[in-house]
Amino acid sequence: MSSEQGARIFDVGYRSYDGPRSAPVWALVTVWKHTLQRVLGLHRSFRHKVLPAIAVLIAFLPAVVFVGITAFLPASQILNEILPSYGEYVGETTMALALFASLVAPEALCTDRRTGMLDLYLAGPLDVKRYLAAKWAAVASVMLVMTIGPQLFLLVSYTIVSAGPSLGDAPLLIVRIVVSGVGVALFYTAVAMGVSSLTTRRAVAAVATVLVLLVPQIAVGVAVESSDAPEELTLLTPSVATEFAFRVFGEARGALNDDPPIADVPTGLVVAGLAGWILLGGAVCLLSYRRQGARR
Amino acid sequence: MSEIATTPVVSARGVTKRYKSTVAVDGLDVDIGHGITGLLGPNGAGKTTFIALVLGLRLRDAGELIVLGHDPASSGIDVRARVGYAPEHHNLPPDVHAADLVRHLGELHGLPARAAIQRANDALWQVGLGEERFRPIGTMSTGQRQRVKLAGAIVHDPELVLLDEPTDGLDPLQRDDMLALIRRVGSEFGMDIVISSHHLEEAERICDAVVILGGGSVVRAGRLSELRRDSERLIVVVDDRAPELAAALRGHGFDVAEHGETVSIVWADGVHDAVRDAVADLGVGIRRLGPERQTLEDVYMEASA
Repeated sequence: MSSEQGARIFDVGYRSYDGPRSAPVWALVTVWKHTLQRVLGLHRSFRHKVLPAIAVLIAFLPAVVFVGITAFLPASQILNEILPSYGEYVGETTMALALFASLVAPEALCTDRRTGMLDLYLAGPLDVKRYLAAKWAAVASVMLVMTIGPQLFLLVSYTIVSAGPSLGDAPLLIVRIVVSGVGVALFYTAVAMGVSSLTTRRAVAAVATVLVLLVPQIAVGVAVESSDAPEELTLLTPSVATEFAFRVFGEARGALNDDPPIADVPTGLVVAGLAGWILLGGAVCLLSYRRQGARR
Repeated sequence: MSEIATTPVVSARGVTKRYKSTVAVDGLDVDIGHGITGLLGPNGAGKTTFIALVLGLRLRDAGELIVLGHDPASSGIDVRARVGYAPEHHNLPPDVHAADLVRHLGELHGLPARAAIQRANDALWQVGLGEERFRPIGTMSTGQRQRVKLAGAIVHDPELVLLDEPTDGLDPLQRDDMLALIRRVGSEFGMDIVISSHHLEEAERICDAVVILGGGSVVRAGRLSELRRDSERLIVVVDDRAPELAAALRGHGFDVAEHGETVSIVWADGVHDAVRDAVADLGVGIRRLGPERQTLEDVYMEASA
């Protein structure tokens, strides 16, 4: 461009930054947001979006189907026979949660260690606890959408077709939906993150997560049904999460699956069992990262 | 105690770090000042451990360490918010675009989203990857990845930049480019830089000061200009007849050594006149005449001896 036309090109060089900066604690939010995008496949190729989309779809699909049924059949006919209770619907989402925990959630931890991102994160304004908290929060956020989302969708839809709770019962039901959803989501998050913290390979984490979810279930089921093993052993299985949801909704467990019996175990023990799984997942994560040399 | 500057960016006093029975850093005393400082030493000298201590990623077992006015052991997060770091390894997320990674690192260090995007683009332009910034990192060469790491280290305009072996894996041309880039970051961008390396000639080319580590402690530290002091010898490099020149100078009573076309004379009164007369008598041309200058390698070898 000629100077006669009045345009000139300047080399602005390097410019220092003197604008606002957020407090270091916001690094946690940055990692949470970035991890959420990674596990959902956002800003990534189509193949990375498939599995999370399928998992979320599986979680919501039964709710959509049930709402569709209520739109065509009188609610009084189907309410107790076809439509699941809120507690039973938790059982409908376990497949989706297990799928997400085993095939998608390992992306949150394994990839950072394999690709060296962990070093960059920990050289920033984060420590191991904040890093893991952000990672857990990101995975749990998706799990919460899968546990609470369909239930709220059911609640709203049932209410629209006059099959929902009364106005007075709705707040309590919403609280129960949230509490059960948080408990179940944290359970699957703990399993996925605990296992993922032990390996850098997503495939290994996926297989290990499936084994952690299946092996105790089968082993305890066989032990309780074929011998006089105490029902409390069931607290060592993933059934503790669905049982927690049943207890929150104040429902008796139906015979909808082949889970080991757990009906006679006190609610306090069920809550303790669930908390034990979650704490175990957290402890495994922390110890694993400390053992690998990351401080605090 | 080794002092490099009066207003240190990093100040260590008796810093010790042990891994079980191995002492990685042993009573390290050093001040690192402004400008570009080379952290030199062979593998296992304690360079990476010292960087981890500076970042607060490891807890020291003894001593005092102050970085940018903070103790990284108790205020590691505050220190790391003001420091840029490029690790030694070349692993970066392969499916992430360079611009996205650098932007994310900017946000991580407190930049608002819009500013992080702007500065990520600027930083990648500054390191010569402006046209490549939307390429997945997995498709980039080692040299380009080193530049991405450098962009990630400077995106948030830190006060101190720590570069761990930034020329590792680069060919000679890429290495020259990277060294020039680091020199530019240190001189034009106003950032203090600590560069960890075991290549002495790299430090010699771009550093203002060096800290030479050996066995976890400081072997030698100081401004490069002070360390590379002139020796007690005069060097004469001639076109031809060096042995005859050496013999002539010995005849005048000087302590002379010769190697190839180079004649080295211990400094004494009248040495310049004697050299002038001898080369005139022999009719040889002088290619170099001056004091023998110590290289960083000489300093290192002397300190390690």
